[in-house]
Amino acid sequence: MLLNTFAGLTPGVFYGIIGILLTLMAQLTRTVNFSQMGVGMFGGYVGMTMIQKLKIDMWLAALVGLVIAAVLSGIIGWIIATWLPNAQIATRSAVTVAALLLIVATSSVLFGANHSNFKPLLQNNVAEFNVGDVKLFVSQNFVVLLVLALVILIGSSLLLKRTMFGVRLRAISDRQAAAELIGVNVKVLNVGVWVVSGALISITISFMPASISNDYISFSLLVIAGSAAALVGAFKNPWLALLGGVLIGVLQGFVSALPALAAYKEWVTFILILVFLLWNQRKEVWDVAR
Amino acid sequence: MSLANSTKKKAAAQSSQPGARSFVKPSFIHSPWAPAILGVAFVIVAILVGLLLGTVTDFGYTRMAQILIMMVLLLGLGVVTGTAGMIALCQLSFAAAGALVVEYMALYHIGDYFGQWSFFFYMICGTLVAMVMGLIVGLPALRLRGVNLAVVTLSLAFVFDITIVGIGFPAQKTGKFIDRPFGIAGSNDASALGATALVILVIAAAIAVGVVYLQRSRWGSSWKMVAFSERGTASAGMNVQVAKLSAFIVSAAAGGLAGGLFEMIFRQGVTTIYGPYASLVIYVLSAVVGSYLVDMAFFGGILSVIIPFILTRLSWPLYIGDMLFGVLGIQALTTGSNLGEDIRRGIRKRGRAAKLEAIADVPREAIKIATVPIPKGTGKPLLVVKDLGVQFGAVSANANVNVTVSEGTILGLIGPNGAGKSTFIDAVTGFLPHHTGSVEIDGLAIDKKSPSFIARNGVRRTYQQDRVPSTLTVGAYVRFVTGGKATRAEIDEVLDFFECPTYYSPLSLVDVGTKRLIEVAAGVAAKPKVLLLDEPAAGLDHEQHIAFGERLRQVPTKYGVTLLIIEHDLDLVRSVCSEITVLNFGEVLASGSQEAVLSNPEVLKAYMGETEML
Repeated sequence: MLLNTFAGLTPGVFYGIIGILLTLMAQLTRTVNFSQMGVGMFGGYVGMTMIQKLKIDMWLAALVGLVIAAVLSGIIGWIIATWLPNAQIATRSAVTVAALLLIVATSSVLFGANHSNFKPLLQNNVAEFNVGDVKLFVSQNFVVLLVLALVILIGSSLLLKRTMFGVRLRAISDRQAAAELIGVNVKVLNVGVWVVSGALISITISFMPASISNDYISFSLLVIAGSAAALVGAFKNPWLALLGGVLIGVLQGFVSALPALAAYKEWVTFILILVFLLWNQRKEVWDVAR
Repeated sequence: MSLANSTKKKAAAQSSQPGARSFVKPSFIHSPWAPAILGVAFVIVAILVGLLLGTVTDFGYTRMAQILIMMVLLLGLGVVTGTAGMIALCQLSFAAAGALVVEYMALYHIGDYFGQWSFFFYMICGTLVAMVMGLIVGLPALRLRGVNLAVVTLSLAFVFDITIVGIGFPAQKTGKFIDRPFGIAGSNDASALGATALVILVIAAAIAVGVVYLQRSRWGSSWKMVAFSERGTASAGMNVQVAKLSAFIVSAAAGGLAGGLFEMIFRQGVTTIYGPYASLVIYVLSAVVGSYLVDMAFFGGILSVIIPFILTRLSWPLYIGDMLFGVLGIQALTTGSNLGEDIRRGIRKRGRAAKLEAIADVPREAIKIATVPIPKGTGKPLLVVKDLGVQFGAVSANANVNVTVSEGTILGLIGPNGAGKSTFIDAVTGFLPHHTGSVEIDGLAIDKKSPSFIARNGVRRTYQQDRVPSTLTVGAYVRFVTGGKATRAEIDEVLDFFECPTYYSPLSLVDVGTKRLIEVAAGVAAKPKVLLLDEPAAGLDHEQHIAFGERLRQVPTKYGVTLLIIEHDLDLVRSVCSEITVLNFGEVLASGSQEAVLSNPEVLKAYMGETEML
């Protein structure tokens, strides 16, 4: 049980990063990006196909995947920024649902129904230790993902709070029209956020824990665990999103160790979503300020 | 400035030609669901002819049934996504729940009390389960705005699918098939499938009629209203969560029924058709065609069956169809339009010129406005606000505000910009539950109550902003605001009195100034005890102001509605209000009879500034 729970840490941090990126996207671009994992997945499969067909190096393939994910994400962002600049968050997010469908369908056509699983870039353990008679491992992936999560968290926080560029980014998220009037290039910044988010999710996927299943739809729907994590921070606090991700990972690990419940470990995410929705609705919220 | 002027001119031009934008009741062929009736009639005839001649193959009947079932799924989804404007991504999970219940009950003969009709009892049970599922998922998500419903429904679709795949459909696992209703043979030959398709057709048509009926009812109006403005919905006395939840549960019910229909034709559940991917596809398809329109739901059903059929014939991957939906979905969702609306706009454009001409021939009688004096009222205190205080952080927006509106009068609430006038209305109508002090209407304490409760109990309001949704007709909007209590004649009378466009005019063709008049007319038609008007005459020119004032003066006696009016135009205030309260920096500066207040030097100072006084 301890082993499973501990093993849940790596996917937990992975969900946490998805949650962090969803939170930052929601804050900066007013969109809950349902296509986020899909975008990363598409890049990943292009990279993997190149490994198989062109025998290129794994790291180079990861780089190709990154570029493709970034560009794809940028295109979706550009569409939303161009046609729905002032739309409500639900309207903007709905476009990413259609984008998700397009990406999954396209992947199925391009890469076929049967495909091999992603291999993480790193496969070794950095440390192992014993607790009682249970041997626990700390994988390279875990370390890289944790560092990545912290880099994104601290980096984005410094960027947004300490730099002029960050002030502009916050301006476009708060009052887009006002930012536009004082000469901020809203569209370029918006698309920029999308590109960076696509690149970051691609990096994250490259260090994805091997235990996560990846057919096209299950893989793209990892965004659910990410949004559950983001809900813990109410799509506002990225630190709580990381915490939420870890919570989901660990709980799922714990549940999977119980024979009676193992098959239902995915319900952890669903129940957590329900709980946090109930928690978040303590305060009545209206659609507009007045 | 010039923009404001041109808007006013437009409004003026409009009201000088009463009825120019009015519509008579559309004839059958122009009614939006004529295509659906024709479509369904076509299918009925096709099936009957097929049955008579025996020419339709088993394959053909299965496809027909599938089209109808997809129509039911899409129609239900359209209520949430199209009408109420939310994102729901688990429509097939509701279907799976419905199918599972039907299959379980039919297989183990649970509740077969009704003989040949038992199947329908199973379907009702399955539908109820789907509705409960919708309630559990919708309740936490719908009080919040934004995309929470999308997150929770996608998650439900995912976990429910894993669970269903895990436990499996009982018939499939045991290798059995359930019985069809009315003793229709279980075989898959043309006659059995034809009869099944016919039963499905009848049920699907009944569901379609039911959904259309709901769409046109007060519920349907509340769904359209809530998609446009939550505040506006609450002010019309409809609880926002109830409006959203009812839409979601109707959609879940349609999903559950569709699941039962799948069982009727296939007699065994197949897990693969109920996964989250299928729910994604149907959501996008719903957005593309605009499936809240019944004919478009039918068309969506055809697309979802025909496209895979063609792709199979071409030996192309089936996912190409979904790629197409994905592209069209992005197009539809970014432009906020859909196939159904585009087609209707095309038809309307062709018909509009002729229609307008026809209406121009029947000019509405110019309403003679009787000149009545400023109403004095009965002297009975109706709305009593004591020591009202509203604090926004460090800012005190209202402090110690005491206002009493006497029955049958018109009270003017004036003051410079930022004086706290709209905050006062927000607090009284329940939008600022943290206010201090007390509010009573006719002896009933209404502070700390919800906006919809307050609206239902006699205090209504209008808004400075546009809160009148373009998706309704004038009549449907007024009917919704009145809570369905006003008769058709009463609604027509009020619309006439305020010189609004007629009952069947689409609000999408009405400009903002006229919408504000309609909002006032609807508020009056709802016959509240007190109606709070927040700058109702903004956007009208001077002559219209005077005419509007003449009408307002009649409202207390003619309709029994006491008024409180926020207005910047002192001429209008002077012409309608017996009493005036002046707010400045959130506090009452002066209060009393019109003459006393308007000659109060403090008031003049607040309005004109010190220098102009000198």
